[in-house]
Amino acid sequence: MNNILRLLKIDFLKFKNYRAFWVISILYSLLIISIPVAVMEFLKWLKEKGAEFEGFDPLKIPVLYFPDIWQNITYVFIFFKLFLAIIVIISISNEFSFKTVRQNIIDGMSRTEFALSKLTFIAALSLYSAVLVGLTGMATGLIYTPSLEGVNVFQGFSFMGAYFVDIFATLLIAFLLTLLIKRSGLSIAMFILIWPIEYIAAAYIPDSMDFMSEYFPLHAINNLIEFPYPKYIFREIQDWVSMESLFVVVLYIAGYIAFILRRLKTSDL
Amino acid sequence: MEKVLEIKGLTKRYGRLLAVNKLSLEVPRGSVFGILGPNGSGKTTTLGILLDVIQPTAGDFLWFGAKADNKVRKEIGAILETPIFYPYLTAYENLNIVAEIKGADKSNIEKVLETVELLHRKDDKFKTYSLGMKQRLSIASALLNDPKVMILDEPTNGLDPKGIAEIRDIITKIARDGKTIILASHLLDEVQKVCSHFAVLQNGKLLYQGLVEDVSKGEMVVEVAANGHDLAATLEGFEGSKKVVKDFDKWVVSLEEGFGSTELNQYLHGKSITASHLLTQKKSLEKQFLEILEESNENKVG
Repeated sequence: MNNILRLLKIDFLKFKNYRAFWVISILYSLLIISIPVAVMEFLKWLKEKGAEFEGFDPLKIPVLYFPDIWQNITYVFIFFKLFLAIIVIISISNEFSFKTVRQNIIDGMSRTEFALSKLTFIAALSLYSAVLVGLTGMATGLIYTPSLEGVNVFQGFSFMGAYFVDIFATLLIAFLLTLLIKRSGLSIAMFILIWPIEYIAAAYIPDSMDFMSEYFPLHAINNLIEFPYPKYIFREIQDWVSMESLFVVVLYIAGYIAFILRRLKTSDL
Repeated sequence: MEKVLEIKGLTKRYGRLLAVNKLSLEVPRGSVFGILGPNGSGKTTTLGILLDVIQPTAGDFLWFGAKADNKVRKEIGAILETPIFYPYLTAYENLNIVAEIKGADKSNIEKVLETVELLHRKDDKFKTYSLGMKQRLSIASALLNDPKVMILDEPTNGLDPKGIAEIRDIITKIARDGKTIILASHLLDEVQKVCSHFAVLQNGKLLYQGLVEDVSKGEMVVEVAANGHDLAATLEGFEGSKKVVKDFDKWVVSLEEGFGSTELNQYLHGKSITASHLLTQKKSLEKQFLEILEESNENKVG
């Protein structure tokens, strides 16, 4: 454990005075914090403008009320993981373009330690994001839920767990892509492109094999937090985290880590 | 003699190219070991394998008599090719990372910066450094954990004469402290000045391995200039001369073993010739190196 903390510290020292890291992180954090505020202000604005949903007060839509809030905000916030992926991609590609990965090894890191230092950094980044979203959700819920009587604020909190797993798995994909591509611009482009590529591929597989597409890597991640909003027009949705989806993603995570370790252990640096 | 490093049959193949070819070497403790070879002879590849950044195709190596792991590398100070640091960090911050990796005492950072005369620039970003300063910083970084062995790959590459002299001073200073140094270079004069042992590589193969002091042993070469006609014939008449060649206004005499400039001078005196110029040339490593390469080429043709 001490060693893991030491490795995390080494990676942090690399970032501590790297401006791009702080700019992206702060931007990301501000975005997360400001969105619930913006949503509420938007609903207020709607009401003031007199937009009526067939006599329904838009402020009464329980989008940001407990317990709905957990699924609703995690579903939205997950889209901003691109910012985190860019941080990861820069972190990895820098090591290759500056050749510092080479010098780290020469100086006495083992190849596994190098991988672990990056994996720990990615885990810490995912955790930071989850804590930030958790706190924002909690604060928003407490402020806007009309009555907290008889409300369990942690109902639906499992979505926060799913959120963490989703971010972590996605950032591992970013790590893996950069390990293969090595250049930051190309890696970011590829990271963005894999989503449409997978969805197009899924659209083309024959109907009889359709169930397979749910196990594609990005589909599997997206299955963690299902689209929540149809429930406000009285459609049924999956308002829980499916254990099966979680299991599939955890398997993928194990696979990604194994591949990253193997790749770093066997390649010339 | 205790061995710091033992290489056995090391081979690295990149597709059809054989970068290192069954290389075997031993580096004794306390030596300054020069690895010589033209560019592309496999020096850096070999060092890269020894430092675990390149995977060998075959063969083995032992550091301090044991299979290498990353703990061994913490006791080795090494630079490969160009100085590598995080450009956006200062010298101090960069060395701080190295100290954290090596488990070195943080108080060493200022000490090594002092050694390479960079202390006054410690808070400047690496990317603002000149090439010479970058080289010096990488030597500082290699010294950080008071290593038992230092590996320097072309440490004077791209430097101006002043920079070269500075690096050479640092290397001699380190060698005096009893550290083993492995120095890869294509600059022969550099190796001759600082090394005790040397090996010659070509196309990934070991051509020669020996002591630098042995290079100047054996046959001796003397430059002679004198008045008097038919000097050449006189010089050839000397019982110790092997070969006499004209070099511009002088004659260059290669002597048999056991003969030196004293004997030659006495002989000339006996012939009533007074030399106006008499200079013993030590055989240079450069000459030896070229001979070794030439021999190997002849063998290939033959």
